[in-house]
Amino acid sequence: MKKKLLIIGTIMAIAPILFSFCGFYVSKADGTLKNKTSQVILVRDGNKTVITMYNDFKGDSKDFAMVVPVPVVLRKDDIKVVEQSIFQRLNDYSAPRLVEYWDENPCNGYGKDEMKAPMADKSMNEVVVTSAYGVKRSTVKVEARYLVGEYDILILSAKESSGLKTWLIENGYKIPEGAEEVLEPYIKSNLKFFVVKVNEKEKLKLNNNFLRPIQISFNSPKFMLPIRLGMANADGDQDLIVYAFTRNGRIESTNYRNVEIASNKNIPLFVQKNFRAFYGNLFTNQWNREDKSVAFLEYAWDVSPQNYYHCDPCIATAPSEQDLVQSGVWWLAGKDWSDYSDVDNDEPDNGSKNVHFTRLHFRYNRKSFAQDLMFQVTPNKETFQARYVITHPATGDFNCAAGKKYLQDLKARRKKELMELTALTGTNINNWQDEALAKNDEETNVAAQYATLIPQLKEDSDSNRENSKENMPVGIVLFAAVMLGGAGLMRWKGLI
Amino acid sequence: MFSTALFKDARYFQIIFQSIFLSYGIYFLHWKNESWLYFTYFFTSLATQFTAEFFLGKRNIPFSNRLKNGIPSILISSFGLSLLLKTNLWWVAVLAASVSILSKYILRINGKHVFNPSALGIVVAVLFTGNAWISPGQWGSGAVLMFGVFTFGFIVTTRVQKLDVSLAFLGTFASLIFLRQIIYLGWPMDYFVQSVSTGSLLLFSFFMITDPKTIPDHRLARILWCIAIAAVSFYLTAFKFMNGAPILVLVFAQPLVPLLDKFFKARKFEWTKSKPYTQEENNFMQVIYSKSYM
Repeated sequence: MKKKLLIIGTIMAIAPILFSFCGFYVSKADGTLKNKTSQVILVRDGNKTVITMYNDFKGDSKDFAMVVPVPVVLRKDDIKVVEQSIFQRLNDYSAPRLVEYWDENPCNGYGKDEMKAPMADKSMNEVVVTSAYGVKRSTVKVEARYLVGEYDILILSAKESSGLKTWLIENGYKIPEGAEEVLEPYIKSNLKFFVVKVNEKEKLKLNNNFLRPIQISFNSPKFMLPIRLGMANADGDQDLIVYAFTRNGRIESTNYRNVEIASNKNIPLFVQKNFRAFYGNLFTNQWNREDKSVAFLEYAWDVSPQNYYHCDPCIATAPSEQDLVQSGVWWLAGKDWSDYSDVDNDEPDNGSKNVHFTRLHFRYNRKSFAQDLMFQVTPNKETFQARYVITHPATGDFNCAAGKKYLQDLKARRKKELMELTALTGTNINNWQDEALAKNDEETNVAAQYATLIPQLKEDSDSNRENSKENMPVGIVLFAAVMLGGAGLMRWKGLI
Repeated sequence: MFSTALFKDARYFQIIFQSIFLSYGIYFLHWKNESWLYFTYFFTSLATQFTAEFFLGKRNIPFSNRLKNGIPSILISSFGLSLLLKTNLWWVAVLAASVSILSKYILRINGKHVFNPSALGIVVAVLFTGNAWISPGQWGSGAVLMFGVFTFGFIVTTRVQKLDVSLAFLGTFASLIFLRQIIYLGWPMDYFVQSVSTGSLLLFSFFMITDPKTIPDHRLARILWCIAIAAVSFYLTAFKFMNGAPILVLVFAQPLVPLLDKFFKARKFEWTKSKPYTQEENNFMQVIYSKSYM
């Protein structure tokens, strides 16, 4: 059957986005501080790392404060503010995607063309944070003090955690329960603390009503994100999206399992109406199935300026060279960038202008993520995308022989799609009945409608169950084959 | 059902356990299916072994016997590569597998090969091609796997009397990590547990460093040797943030083995001359065997 790829819809799988991954928010008022999804851009080559932290703090900027552990005392040149829109562009570009195909009517070979705009939808949470700088304590040393963009930045080093804690409290930061447990190891690991608040005067000059992302760069063999501090004030699970750029290939976690999210699946047409809910369910289901302590790969692609295909299919404009430089990909920048990188420049520069992009999605909590996230750059250049396929049925008259066959095939295919849907999302098929019934699924033939097929599916639910665990029998067969092979080998060697 | 003879050569155990680990990774941990890679490792190893035996093998043993005797080693080193070394390029896989097998024929001192075949293949591929990598996180830190590796590893190592190697390495490495993470830095216990329960570390301790052909023959020498490897690996892991440090250190430590053998005289290890089982060991083995697979 001929199919045509016509349009591509996209989603914002990211629900409320809040920057919180490595710092903790502090509050004078005992409000509930809950962080849900944060975003961070990592650029890594050699020992140099550039980290850009998304900031979508929506409260009164006087109340904004953030603490981030960093491996070295940063110089003023190592700290920048960048445009907020870069995160939106990276997210749009790499988000899980829905691909639509149209069947052609086998009786007239006529397809239907249509273009749709990507749907984007995002809601925001708010967090109230209060802080003020004050007198410093002797056990805490202010290593540096900078004004960068609209931010007042202090770099602190501390000798012991109680001193740091006292300092923060006396300066108006209320330490969340449990933060102490990680402050001590961080201090002993010789980490510095990057403390940020908003400079009101500078902010007024900018006339922005949002806070721009902060970008820091440093040289350190450590390639990691300190998430443990961020867990101190988050109850439950937090999502983190990492956009990473390297010269060589994908990044991967070295202390958590790396799993590619289920992709290239055919799913029912009605999922289009609520793709976001579908992907949310799918992610949660996969996350549970993989026992939670995992890094999910959602996208990987060569985005080098010289590479022509930055996506296939593209759901949004691929990041431009300027976007990459803005994200911190210093090896694409010209001479202007050189004073931004370290003076004692030990980063390898083999002249390569390659850029590989990786999007990782974490959902962490204190129990499943005992350690900070450690990463490595691998030479793995393989592309990957989270891609889901819906297929519009053909329309018109199916009175020819091929048309009848088509309807039969359509029924079988749609049953498969429904089973795939339940297997992917871990939801009962009944949960989708409303969607199936409510939406016109473009199929005039009653026998092939999803709503008609769902009850039939329940009848042969036995086979469904097997289908959802299709790996099991394969595993058992393989295991048996290996055992038999082993026994055969031993017999051949005359051992049994 | 199973006679003692079945356990005469510990390599068969090793092959069975390695294949179980690989199946576990693919079917339960949902590794990306890379059968082409596993087959490349296997067939390259086989072809290399065949060629090497033809030109470099011992003339006094019939060719077919030599080939037959070499099969377990081929399986072990190709499984070793499959479990640890990742690459997207076929020629890197071919290089790693052929280096592994050839090293057994070419790099020999006093009738023992110098390098652990798969460890050398991995290090050569990672360091010299830039197109291969190790995924230390691929096993996660599931307790079930930890238990499995310990049990299976125990059998293999007990059988060839080299449990001392695993324990010396793992004990030293884990103690140093414990001292650093819990005592010095003050992380909570689960931080430490995650560090030492990774499958990669346990696999290394029980299936790689234990290769009896590439460790010192004298017991004291090999325990000291393992402690040194553990200490250097710890340093590289904790202070230089190096991934897969133990394998690298092992390869660089292996040329020391002939020297240690010279100063610490002992009987050379032979695969088939290991001690027969005692009655208790035999019973234990039957219990494990029937519980695990039947």
